[in-house]
Amino acid sequence: MRYVYDALRMNLRSAAQYGKSFLMQCLAQLVMTAGDLWAVLLLLERFGNMGHWEAGQILFFFGVMQITFAFTEIINRGLGRFSDVMIRNGGFDTVLLRPRSPLKQVILSQADPRRVGSMLVGITAVAIASANLGLRWTFGKVLLLLWSMAGTVCLLMGLFLIEAVVCFFSVQSIEVVNILTYGGRQACQYPIDLYPGPIRILFTCVVPIALCLHVPVSLVLGRPIFAVPEWLVWVLPCAGLAFFALIAFLWRFGVRHYRSTGS
Amino acid sequence: MNRWKPYRTAFRVHAVRETRYRGAVLGGIVTQSFFGLVLVALYSALIDPADQTLLRETATYVWLQQIFFRALFHRDSELSEQVLSGNVCYQLLRPVDPHTWWLFRAMAEKTVGVLMRLLPMLALQFLLPEQYRMLPPDGPMALLQFALSIGVGFLVIAQINLICQAITMVTLDNRGVTAMINLIMMLLAGNIIPLTLVPERLRQVIRYQPFAQALDAPIRMYLHTMSAGEWLLNLGVQLLWLAALWALSRLLWRRNLDRIVIQGG
Repeated sequence: MRYVYDALRMNLRSAAQYGKSFLMQCLAQLVMTAGDLWAVLLLLERFGNMGHWEAGQILFFFGVMQITFAFTEIINRGLGRFSDVMIRNGGFDTVLLRPRSPLKQVILSQADPRRVGSMLVGITAVAIASANLGLRWTFGKVLLLLWSMAGTVCLLMGLFLIEAVVCFFSVQSIEVVNILTYGGRQACQYPIDLYPGPIRILFTCVVPIALCLHVPVSLVLGRPIFAVPEWLVWVLPCAGLAFFALIAFLWRFGVRHYRSTGS
Repeated sequence: MNRWKPYRTAFRVHAVRETRYRGAVLGGIVTQSFFGLVLVALYSALIDPADQTLLRETATYVWLQQIFFRALFHRDSELSEQVLSGNVCYQLLRPVDPHTWWLFRAMAEKTVGVLMRLLPMLALQFLLPEQYRMLPPDGPMALLQFALSIGVGFLVIAQINLICQAITMVTLDNRGVTAMINLIMMLLAGNIIPLTLVPERLRQVIRYQPFAQALDAPIRMYLHTMSAGEWLLNLGVQLLWLAALWALSRLLWRRNLDRIVIQGG
Protein backbone atom coordinates (compact mmCIF):
# COMPACT_ATOMS: atom_id res chain seq x y z
CA MET A 1 0.00 0.00 0.00
CA ARG A 2 2.89 2.32 0.76
CA TYR A 3 4.09 1.79 -2.81
CA VAL A 4 0.65 2.57 -4.23
CA TYR A 5 0.51 5.83 -2.28
CA ASP A 6 3.99 6.94 -3.31
CA ALA A 7 3.39 6.14 -6.97
CA LEU A 8 0.11 8.03 -7.07
CA ARG A 9 1.64 11.08 -5.40
CA MET A 10 4.53 11.07 -7.84
CA ASN A 11 2.19 10.88 -10.86
CA LEU A 12 0.09 13.78 -9.62
CA ARG A 13 3.12 15.94 -8.94
CA SER A 14 4.57 15.25 -12.38
CA ALA A 15 1.27 16.30 -13.99
CA ALA A 16 1.24 19.48 -11.90
CA GLN A 17 4.64 20.49 -13.33
CA TYR A 18 2.99 21.62 -16.56
CA GLY A 19 0.24 23.75 -15.05
CA LYS A 20 -1.12 25.62 -18.05
CA SER A 21 -0.89 22.75 -20.49
CA PHE A 22 -2.59 20.54 -17.91
CA LEU A 23 -5.47 22.99 -17.50
CA MET A 24 -5.90 23.28 -21.27
CA GLN A 25 -6.04 19.50 -21.65
CA CYS A 26 -8.56 19.21 -18.82
CA LEU A 27 -10.65 21.77 -20.64
CA ALA A 28 -10.33 19.82 -23.92
CA GLN A 29 -11.58 16.68 -22.17
CA LEU A 30 -14.43 18.64 -20.68
CA VAL A 31 -15.47 20.00 -24.07
CA MET A 32 -15.30 16.54 -25.65
CA THR A 33 -17.48 14.89 -23.02
CA ALA A 34 -19.84 17.86 -23.09
CA GLY A 35 -20.20 17.14 -26.81
CA ASP A 36 -21.26 13.58 -26.02
CA LEU A 37 -23.71 14.93 -23.47
CA TRP A 38 -25.11 17.33 -26.06
CA ALA A 39 -25.74 14.40 -28.44
CA VAL A 40 -27.68 12.56 -25.73
CA LEU A 41 -29.70 15.70 -24.95
CA LEU A 42 -30.54 16.16 -28.64
CA LEU A 43 -31.80 12.59 -28.86
CA LEU A 44 -33.84 13.07 -25.70
CA GLU A 45 -35.37 16.24 -27.10
CA ARG A 46 -36.26 14.46 -30.33
CA PHE A 47 -37.68 11.27 -28.83
CA GLY A 48 -38.86 12.45 -25.41
CA ASN A 49 -38.07 9.19 -23.69
CA MET A 50 -36.04 6.16 -24.72
CA GLY A 51 -37.95 2.90 -24.60
CA HIS A 52 -39.55 2.85 -21.15
CA TRP A 53 -36.87 5.13 -19.66
CA GLU A 54 -37.54 8.77 -18.89
CA ALA A 55 -35.11 11.50 -19.96
CA GLY A 56 -33.75 11.99 -16.42
CA GLN A 57 -33.03 8.29 -16.01
CA ILE A 58 -31.13 8.13 -19.32
CA LEU A 59 -29.10 11.16 -18.22
CA PHE A 60 -28.31 9.40 -14.93
CA PHE A 61 -27.03 6.28 -16.74
CA PHE A 62 -24.95 8.49 -19.05
CA GLY A 63 -23.39 10.39 -16.16
CA VAL A 64 -22.52 7.29 -14.15
CA MET A 65 -20.88 5.65 -17.17
CA GLN A 66 -18.83 8.76 -17.96
CA ILE A 67 -17.63 9.13 -14.36
CA THR A 68 -16.68 5.46 -14.17
CA PHE A 69 -14.88 5.41 -17.50
CA ALA A 70 -13.05 8.68 -16.80
CA PHE A 71 -11.94 7.45 -13.38
CA THR A 72 -10.63 4.24 -14.96
CA GLU A 73 -8.65 6.27 -17.48
CA ILE A 74 -7.18 8.44 -14.73
CA ILE A 75 -5.61 5.51 -12.90
CA ASN A 76 -5.11 3.33 -15.92
CA ARG A 77 -2.79 5.24 -18.24
CA GLY A 78 0.05 2.81 -17.54
CA LEU A 79 -1.90 -0.04 -19.07
CA GLY A 80 -3.31 2.07 -21.88
CA ARG A 81 0.15 3.01 -23.12
CA PHE A 82 1.66 -0.39 -22.35
CA SER A 83 2.59 -1.31 -25.91
CA ASP A 84 4.38 1.99 -26.62
CA VAL A 85 6.19 2.59 -23.39
CA MET A 86 6.79 -0.87 -22.03
CA ILE A 87 6.99 -3.30 -24.93
CA ARG A 88 8.41 -1.38 -27.89
CA ASN A 89 11.02 0.49 -25.87
CA GLY A 90 11.85 -2.49 -23.74
CA GLY A 91 10.87 -0.60 -20.58
CA PHE A 92 9.26 -3.75 -19.21
CA ASP A 93 12.73 -5.19 -18.55
CA THR A 94 13.34 -2.72 -15.75
CA VAL A 95 9.92 -3.47 -14.30
CA LEU A 96 10.74 -7.18 -14.12
CA LEU A 97 13.98 -6.49 -12.29
CA ARG A 98 12.29 -4.72 -9.37
CA PRO A 99 11.09 -6.70 -6.36
CA ARG A 100 7.43 -5.66 -6.69
CA SER A 101 4.54 -7.18 -8.60
CA PRO A 102 4.97 -6.28 -12.30
CA LEU A 103 1.23 -5.76 -12.78
CA LYS A 104 1.04 -3.27 -9.90
CA GLN A 105 4.06 -1.39 -11.21
CA VAL A 106 2.69 -1.15 -14.75
CA ILE A 107 -0.70 0.10 -13.65
CA LEU A 108 0.84 2.70 -11.36
CA SER A 109 3.59 3.74 -13.76
CA GLN A 110 1.51 6.59 -15.20
CA ALA A 111 -1.63 8.48 -14.35
CA ASP A 112 -3.79 10.68 -16.48
CA PRO A 113 -5.45 13.33 -14.27
CA ARG A 114 -6.63 15.28 -17.37
CA ARG A 115 -9.73 13.11 -17.43
CA VAL A 116 -11.02 15.08 -14.45
CA GLY A 117 -12.64 17.24 -17.13
CA SER A 118 -14.77 14.31 -18.33
CA MET A 119 -15.59 13.39 -14.75
CA LEU A 120 -16.92 16.88 -14.06
CA VAL A 121 -19.35 16.57 -16.98
CA GLY A 122 -20.46 13.15 -15.70
CA ILE A 123 -21.00 14.47 -12.18
CA THR A 124 -22.99 17.42 -13.53
CA ALA A 125 -25.18 15.05 -15.55
CA VAL A 126 -25.84 12.86 -12.51
CA ALA A 127 -26.61 15.89 -10.31
CA ILE A 128 -29.07 17.36 -12.83
CA ALA A 129 -30.69 13.97 -13.41
CA SER A 130 -31.03 13.30 -9.69
CA ALA A 131 -32.61 16.71 -9.03
CA ASN A 132 -34.87 16.30 -12.03
CA LEU A 133 -36.08 12.88 -10.93
CA GLY A 134 -36.50 14.00 -7.33
CA LEU A 135 -34.37 11.06 -6.27
CA ARG A 136 -34.33 10.46 -2.51
CA TRP A 137 -30.80 9.45 -1.58
CA THR A 138 -30.24 7.05 1.29
CA PHE A 139 -26.95 5.78 2.65
CA GLY A 140 -27.68 2.37 1.09
CA LYS A 141 -28.23 3.86 -2.36
CA VAL A 142 -24.99 5.87 -2.27
CA LEU A 143 -23.11 2.78 -1.12
CA LEU A 144 -24.62 0.61 -3.86
CA LEU A 145 -23.80 3.21 -6.51
CA LEU A 146 -20.17 3.55 -5.38
CA TRP A 147 -19.76 -0.21 -5.06
CA SER A 148 -21.18 -0.78 -8.51
CA MET A 149 -18.86 1.85 -9.97
CA ALA A 150 -15.89 0.22 -8.23
CA GLY A 151 -16.80 -3.13 -9.77
CA THR A 152 -17.07 -1.53 -13.20
CA VAL A 153 -13.69 0.18 -12.82
CA CYS A 154 -12.14 -3.28 -12.18
CA LEU A 155 -13.96 -4.65 -15.20
CA LEU A 156 -12.76 -1.85 -17.48
CA MET A 157 -9.20 -2.25 -16.18
CA GLY A 158 -9.52 -5.93 -17.07
CA LEU A 159 -10.44 -4.90 -20.62
CA PHE A 160 -7.40 -2.63 -20.92
CA LEU A 161 -5.34 -5.45 -19.46
CA ILE A 162 -6.42 -7.76 -22.31
CA GLU A 163 -4.79 -5.30 -24.67
CA ALA A 164 -1.57 -5.49 -22.66
CA VAL A 165 -1.63 -9.30 -22.59
CA VAL A 166 -2.01 -9.46 -26.37
CA CYS A 167 1.05 -7.21 -26.64
CA PHE A 168 3.21 -10.02 -25.24
CA PHE A 169 2.39 -12.13 -28.27
CA SER A 170 2.15 -9.50 -30.98
CA VAL A 171 4.26 -6.35 -30.84
CA GLN A 172 1.88 -4.46 -33.13
CA SER A 173 -0.80 -2.49 -31.39
CA ILE A 174 -4.12 -4.18 -31.63
CA GLU A 175 -6.84 -1.63 -31.99
CA VAL A 176 -9.58 -4.22 -32.24
CA VAL A 177 -9.69 -4.57 -28.45
CA ASN A 178 -10.73 -0.89 -28.44
CA ILE A 179 -14.13 -2.13 -29.52
CA LEU A 180 -14.76 -3.46 -26.04
CA THR A 181 -13.32 -0.50 -24.13
CA TYR A 182 -14.41 2.56 -26.12
CA GLY A 183 -17.22 0.65 -27.82
CA GLY A 184 -18.36 -0.41 -24.37
CA ARG A 185 -18.41 3.19 -23.19
CA GLN A 186 -20.38 4.25 -26.26
CA ALA A 187 -22.88 1.37 -26.02
CA CYS A 188 -23.29 1.20 -22.25
CA GLN A 189 -23.95 4.88 -21.66
CA TYR A 190 -27.52 3.80 -22.40
CA PRO A 191 -29.24 1.11 -20.32
CA ILE A 192 -28.68 -2.36 -21.74
CA ASP A 193 -32.33 -3.28 -22.23
CA LEU A 194 -32.58 -0.82 -25.14
CA TYR A 195 -30.45 -3.18 -27.22
CA PRO A 196 -31.42 -6.36 -29.08
CA GLY A 197 -30.34 -9.86 -27.98
CA PRO A 198 -26.76 -10.29 -29.26
CA ILE A 199 -25.49 -6.93 -27.93
CA ARG A 200 -27.28 -7.56 -24.63
CA ILE A 201 -25.59 -10.97 -24.32
CA LEU A 202 -22.17 -9.49 -25.19
CA PHE A 203 -22.36 -6.86 -22.42
CA THR A 204 -23.99 -9.18 -19.89
CA CYS A 205 -22.32 -12.58 -20.24
CA VAL A 206 -19.02 -11.88 -22.01
CA VAL A 207 -18.13 -8.38 -20.76
CA PRO A 208 -20.52 -7.95 -17.82
CA ILE A 209 -20.80 -4.13 -17.82
CA ALA A 210 -24.57 -4.52 -17.57
CA LEU A 211 -24.30 -6.68 -14.44
CA CYS A 212 -21.77 -4.43 -12.73
CA LEU A 213 -23.32 -1.11 -13.61
CA HIS A 214 -26.76 -1.14 -15.19
CA VAL A 215 -28.53 -3.53 -12.85
CA PRO A 216 -27.40 -1.81 -9.61
CA VAL A 217 -27.96 1.67 -11.06
CA SER A 218 -31.44 0.67 -12.18
CA LEU A 219 -32.14 -0.39 -8.60
CA VAL A 220 -30.88 2.98 -7.32
CA LEU A 221 -33.32 4.60 -9.75
CA GLY A 222 -36.06 2.36 -8.39
CA ARG A 223 -36.66 0.58 -11.69
CA PRO A 224 -34.73 -2.72 -11.64
CA ILE A 225 -33.89 -4.11 -15.11
CA PHE A 226 -33.82 -7.79 -14.18
CA ALA A 227 -36.24 -9.25 -11.66
CA VAL A 228 -33.59 -10.47 -9.21
CA PRO A 229 -33.61 -10.33 -5.40
CA GLU A 230 -32.00 -7.26 -3.92
CA TRP A 231 -29.18 -9.11 -2.18
CA LEU A 232 -28.13 -10.53 -5.55
CA VAL A 233 -27.86 -7.04 -7.01
CA TRP A 234 -25.32 -6.27 -4.28
CA VAL A 235 -23.29 -9.33 -5.32
CA LEU A 236 -23.34 -8.55 -9.06
CA PRO A 237 -20.47 -5.97 -9.15
CA CYS A 238 -18.23 -8.86 -8.04
CA ALA A 239 -18.42 -9.93 -11.69
CA GLY A 240 -16.05 -7.04 -12.42
CA LEU A 241 -13.57 -8.24 -9.79
CA ALA A 242 -13.81 -11.78 -11.18
CA PHE A 243 -13.24 -10.52 -14.71
CA PHE A 244 -10.13 -8.62 -13.62
CA ALA A 245 -8.84 -11.65 -11.71
CA LEU A 246 -9.30 -13.86 -14.77
CA ILE A 247 -7.37 -11.50 -17.05
CA ALA A 248 -4.70 -11.01 -14.36
CA PHE A 249 -4.23 -14.78 -14.43
CA LEU A 250 -3.73 -14.65 -18.23
CA TRP A 251 -1.31 -11.77 -17.67
CA ARG A 252 0.98 -14.02 -15.60
CA PHE A 253 0.93 -16.48 -18.43
CA GLY A 254 1.84 -13.66 -20.83
CA VAL A 255 4.71 -12.40 -18.66
CA ARG A 256 6.31 -15.82 -18.92
CA HIS A 257 6.22 -15.48 -22.70
CA TYR A 258 7.77 -12.02 -22.68
CA ARG A 259 10.77 -11.52 -24.90
CA SER A 260 12.45 -8.16 -24.74
CA THR A 261 12.57 -5.98 -27.83
CA GLY A 262 14.84 -3.34 -26.29
CA SER A 263 18.57 -3.10 -26.61
CA MET B 1 1.72 20.10 -67.44
CA ASN B 2 4.95 19.32 -65.63
CA ARG B 3 3.90 21.65 -62.87
CA TRP B 4 1.46 19.05 -61.54
CA LYS B 5 3.80 16.09 -61.76
CA PRO B 6 5.17 16.23 -58.19
CA TYR B 7 1.63 16.35 -56.77
CA ARG B 8 0.50 13.43 -58.91
CA THR B 9 3.50 11.50 -57.65
CA ALA B 10 2.68 12.41 -54.04
CA PHE B 11 -0.82 11.10 -54.61
CA ARG B 12 0.42 7.86 -56.15
CA VAL B 13 3.07 7.19 -53.50
CA HIS B 14 0.65 7.69 -50.63
CA ALA B 15 -2.09 5.73 -52.38
CA VAL B 16 0.27 2.76 -52.67
CA ARG B 17 1.46 3.23 -49.09
CA GLU B 18 -2.12 3.20 -47.81
CA THR B 19 -2.71 -0.21 -49.46
CA ARG B 20 0.17 -1.64 -47.41
CA TYR B 21 -1.59 -1.20 -44.08
CA ARG B 22 -3.67 -4.38 -44.31
CA GLY B 23 -3.88 -4.80 -40.55
CA ALA B 24 -5.23 -1.28 -40.12
CA VAL B 25 -7.88 -1.98 -42.78
CA LEU B 26 -9.00 -5.16 -41.06
CA GLY B 27 -9.07 -3.45 -37.66
CA GLY B 28 -10.96 -0.52 -39.12
CA ILE B 29 -13.57 -2.76 -40.72
CA VAL B 30 -14.21 -4.67 -37.48
CA THR B 31 -14.32 -1.50 -35.35
CA GLN B 32 -16.55 0.49 -37.70
CA SER B 33 -18.92 -2.45 -38.16
CA PHE B 34 -19.24 -2.81 -34.41
CA PHE B 35 -19.90 0.90 -33.82
CA GLY B 36 -22.36 0.89 -36.73
CA LEU B 37 -24.18 -2.07 -35.26
CA VAL B 38 -24.47 -0.47 -31.81
CA LEU B 39 -25.74 2.82 -33.23
CA VAL B 40 -28.23 1.17 -35.59
CA ALA B 41 -29.53 -1.02 -32.75
CA LEU B 42 -29.86 2.01 -30.48
CA TYR B 43 -31.70 4.17 -33.02
CA SER B 44 -33.95 1.25 -33.96
CA ALA B 45 -35.00 1.03 -30.31
CA LEU B 46 -35.76 4.77 -30.21
CA ILE B 47 -37.64 5.22 -33.48
CA ASP B 48 -41.31 4.29 -33.51
CA PRO B 49 -41.47 0.87 -35.27
CA ALA B 50 -44.46 2.09 -37.29
CA ASP B 51 -42.20 4.62 -39.02
CA GLN B 52 -40.34 2.11 -41.21
CA THR B 53 -39.04 4.76 -43.62
CA LEU B 54 -37.27 6.76 -40.91
CA LEU B 55 -35.94 3.52 -39.43
CA ARG B 56 -34.37 2.28 -42.66
CA GLU B 57 -33.10 5.71 -43.65
CA THR B 58 -31.43 6.17 -40.28
CA ALA B 59 -29.76 2.74 -40.60
CA THR B 60 -28.52 3.71 -44.07
CA TYR B 61 -27.22 7.03 -42.74
CA VAL B 62 -25.30 5.29 -39.93
CA TRP B 63 -23.75 2.70 -42.25
CA LEU B 64 -22.64 5.28 -44.81
CA GLN B 65 -21.04 7.31 -42.00
CA GLN B 66 -19.15 4.23 -40.81
CA ILE B 67 -18.05 3.24 -44.32
CA PHE B 68 -16.63 6.72 -44.95
CA PHE B 69 -15.16 7.03 -41.45
CA ARG B 70 -11.60 6.68 -42.71
CA ALA B 71 -12.06 9.88 -44.70
CA LEU B 72 -13.37 11.72 -41.66
CA PHE B 73 -11.06 10.51 -38.93
CA HIS B 74 -7.54 10.89 -40.02
CA ARG B 75 -4.61 11.28 -37.75
CA ASP B 76 -1.46 12.28 -39.55
CA SER B 77 1.07 13.43 -36.99
CA GLU B 78 3.98 13.12 -39.40
CA LEU B 79 4.26 16.83 -40.09
CA SER B 80 4.55 17.83 -36.43
CA GLU B 81 7.01 14.97 -35.92
CA GLN B 82 9.02 16.36 -38.81
CA VAL B 83 9.04 19.78 -37.18
CA LEU B 84 10.19 18.22 -33.92
CA SER B 85 12.97 16.22 -35.54
CA GLY B 86 14.01 19.02 -37.87
CA ASN B 87 13.34 16.96 -41.00
CA VAL B 88 10.79 19.50 -42.11
CA CYS B 89 13.57 21.57 -43.69
CA TYR B 90 13.90 18.97 -46.45
CA GLN B 91 10.20 19.57 -47.10
CA LEU B 92 10.73 23.28 -47.33
CA LEU B 93 13.69 22.96 -49.70
CA ARG B 94 11.66 21.13 -52.32
CA PRO B 95 10.44 23.26 -55.21
CA VAL B 96 6.79 22.38 -54.56
CA ASP B 97 4.02 24.16 -52.75
CA PRO B 98 3.85 22.34 -49.38
CA HIS B 99 0.17 23.09 -48.78
CA THR B 100 -0.87 21.52 -52.11
CA TRP B 101 1.55 18.63 -51.65
CA TRP B 102 0.02 17.68 -48.28
CA LEU B 103 -3.47 18.11 -49.72
CA PHE B 104 -2.74 15.50 -52.41
CA ARG B 105 -1.25 13.23 -49.79
CA ALA B 106 -4.35 13.48 -47.58
CA MET B 107 -6.67 12.91 -50.52
CA ALA B 108 -4.74 9.78 -51.54
CA GLU B 109 -5.04 8.32 -48.04
CA LYS B 110 -8.72 9.13 -47.82
CA THR B 111 -9.70 7.81 -51.24
CA VAL B 112 -7.72 4.58 -51.11
CA GLY B 113 -8.52 3.99 -47.44
CA VAL B 114 -12.25 4.26 -48.09
CA LEU B 115 -12.12 2.15 -51.27
CA MET B 116 -10.39 -0.66 -49.37
CA ARG B 117 -13.08 -0.69 -46.69
CA LEU B 118 -16.06 -0.17 -48.99
CA LEU B 119 -16.76 -3.66 -50.34
CA PRO B 120 -16.10 -5.71 -47.18
CA MET B 121 -18.34 -3.42 -45.14
CA LEU B 122 -21.13 -3.51 -47.70
CA ALA B 123 -20.87 -7.29 -47.70
CA LEU B 124 -20.79 -7.54 -43.89
CA GLN B 125 -23.92 -5.50 -43.26
CA PHE B 126 -25.83 -7.81 -45.62
CA LEU B 127 -25.46 -10.55 -43.00
CA LEU B 128 -27.70 -8.57 -40.65
CA PRO B 129 -31.48 -8.87 -40.32
CA GLU B 130 -33.18 -6.80 -42.98
CA GLN B 131 -34.28 -3.88 -40.80
CA TYR B 132 -30.64 -3.13 -39.85
CA ARG B 133 -29.36 -3.13 -43.43
CA MET B 134 -28.58 -0.24 -45.74
CA LEU B 135 -31.00 0.84 -48.43
CA PRO B 136 -29.72 1.09 -52.02
CA PRO B 137 -29.45 4.65 -53.40
CA ASP B 138 -32.72 6.33 -54.26
CA GLY B 139 -31.99 5.86 -57.99
CA PRO B 140 -29.18 6.25 -60.54
CA MET B 141 -29.57 10.03 -60.38
CA ALA B 142 -29.23 9.98 -56.58
CA LEU B 143 -26.07 7.89 -56.89
CA LEU B 144 -24.58 10.39 -59.34
CA GLN B 145 -25.48 13.37 -57.14
CA PHE B 146 -24.01 11.52 -54.15
CA ALA B 147 -20.78 10.61 -55.95
CA LEU B 148 -20.06 14.17 -57.07
CA SER B 149 -20.93 15.59 -53.68
CA ILE B 150 -18.83 13.13 -51.68
CA GLY B 151 -15.80 14.15 -53.76
CA VAL B 152 -16.30 17.74 -52.60
CA GLY B 153 -16.90 16.37 -49.10
CA PHE B 154 -13.47 14.68 -49.06
CA LEU B 155 -11.84 17.97 -50.11
CA VAL B 156 -13.66 19.80 -47.30
CA ILE B 157 -12.40 17.31 -44.70
CA ALA B 158 -8.90 17.53 -46.15
CA GLN B 159 -8.95 21.33 -45.65
CA ILE B 160 -10.04 20.87 -42.03
CA ASN B 161 -7.20 18.38 -41.53
CA LEU B 162 -4.76 20.87 -43.08
CA ILE B 163 -5.96 23.56 -40.67
CA CYS B 164 -5.27 21.18 -37.77
CA GLN B 165 -1.81 20.51 -39.15
CA ALA B 166 -1.13 24.23 -39.44
CA ILE B 167 -2.05 24.66 -35.78
CA THR B 168 0.13 21.77 -34.60
CA MET B 169 3.04 23.15 -36.62
CA VAL B 170 3.40 25.90 -34.01
CA THR B 171 1.96 24.31 -30.87
CA LEU B 172 3.80 21.01 -31.51
CA ASP B 173 1.14 19.26 -29.45
CA ASN B 174 -0.51 16.86 -31.81
CA ARG B 175 -2.91 15.36 -29.27
CA GLY B 176 -4.95 18.03 -27.52
CA VAL B 177 -6.12 20.22 -30.38
CA THR B 178 -6.43 17.40 -32.91
CA ALA B 179 -8.39 15.16 -30.56
CA MET B 180 -10.80 17.95 -29.79
CA ILE B 181 -11.33 18.95 -33.44
CA ASN B 182 -11.76 15.28 -34.38
CA LEU B 183 -14.50 14.81 -31.81
CA ILE B 184 -16.28 18.04 -32.74
CA MET B 185 -16.04 16.94 -36.35
CA MET B 186 -17.51 13.50 -35.60
CA LEU B 187 -20.36 15.11 -33.72
CA LEU B 188 -21.18 17.89 -36.18
CA ALA B 189 -20.63 15.75 -39.28
CA GLY B 190 -23.30 13.32 -38.11
CA ASN B 191 -21.16 10.32 -37.13
CA ILE B 192 -22.42 10.02 -33.55
CA ILE B 193 -25.96 11.23 -34.11
CA PRO B 194 -27.38 11.38 -37.65
CA LEU B 195 -28.07 15.01 -38.44
CA THR B 196 -31.42 13.88 -39.86
CA LEU B 197 -32.42 12.94 -36.28
CA VAL B 198 -31.60 16.34 -34.82
CA PRO B 199 -34.70 18.17 -33.50
CA GLU B 200 -36.50 20.31 -36.09
CA ARG B 201 -35.47 23.70 -34.65
CA LEU B 202 -31.77 22.90 -35.18
CA ARG B 203 -31.92 20.82 -38.35
CA GLN B 204 -32.04 23.75 -40.76
CA VAL B 205 -29.13 25.47 -39.02
CA ILE B 206 -26.89 22.47 -38.45
CA ARG B 207 -27.09 21.58 -42.15
CA TYR B 208 -25.22 24.71 -43.19
CA GLN B 209 -22.21 24.52 -40.87
CA PRO B 210 -18.89 23.46 -42.44
CA PHE B 211 -18.69 19.98 -40.89
CA ALA B 212 -22.04 18.97 -42.38
CA GLN B 213 -20.57 19.54 -45.85
CA ALA B 214 -18.27 16.56 -45.35
CA LEU B 215 -20.67 13.60 -45.28
CA ASP B 216 -24.13 14.82 -44.30
CA ALA B 217 -24.90 16.64 -47.57
CA PRO B 218 -23.85 13.67 -49.80
CA ILE B 219 -25.77 11.17 -47.66
CA ARG B 220 -28.96 13.22 -47.94
CA MET B 221 -28.56 13.06 -51.73
CA TYR B 222 -28.09 9.28 -51.52
CA LEU B 223 -31.33 8.93 -49.54
CA HIS B 224 -33.51 11.22 -51.69
CA THR B 225 -32.91 12.26 -55.28
CA MET B 226 -32.89 16.05 -55.27
CA SER B 227 -34.34 18.29 -57.95
CA ALA B 228 -31.70 20.08 -60.04
CA GLY B 229 -32.21 23.37 -58.20
CA GLU B 230 -32.08 21.83 -54.74
CA TRP B 231 -29.02 19.82 -55.66
CA LEU B 232 -27.19 22.84 -57.01
CA LEU B 233 -28.03 24.74 -53.83
CA ASN B 234 -26.61 21.96 -51.64
CA LEU B 235 -23.52 21.57 -53.82
CA GLY B 236 -23.13 25.33 -53.86
CA VAL B 237 -23.04 25.47 -50.06
CA GLN B 238 -20.42 22.71 -50.08
CA LEU B 239 -18.27 24.54 -52.65
CA LEU B 240 -18.63 27.83 -50.78
CA TRP B 241 -17.36 26.29 -47.56
CA LEU B 242 -14.61 24.50 -49.48
CA ALA B 243 -13.40 27.81 -50.90
CA ALA B 244 -13.53 29.51 -47.48
CA LEU B 245 -11.69 26.67 -45.71
CA TRP B 246 -9.13 26.46 -48.51
CA ALA B 247 -8.38 30.17 -48.16
CA LEU B 248 -8.11 29.89 -44.38
CA SER B 249 -5.89 26.80 -44.41
CA ARG B 250 -3.65 28.33 -47.07
CA LEU B 251 -3.29 31.50 -45.05
CA LEU B 252 -2.48 29.55 -41.88
CA TRP B 253 0.04 27.38 -43.69
CA ARG B 254 1.84 30.32 -45.22
CA ARG B 255 1.94 32.18 -41.91
CA ASN B 256 2.90 29.23 -39.73
CA LEU B 257 5.54 27.78 -42.05
CA ASP B 258 7.33 31.11 -41.72
CA ARG B 259 7.06 30.95 -37.96
CA ILE B 260 8.10 27.38 -37.27
CA VAL B 261 11.19 26.81 -35.23
CA ILE B 262 13.30 24.05 -36.72
CA GLN B 263 14.22 21.72 -33.90
CA GLY B 264 17.01 19.21 -33.84
CA GLY B 265 20.39 19.44 -35.54
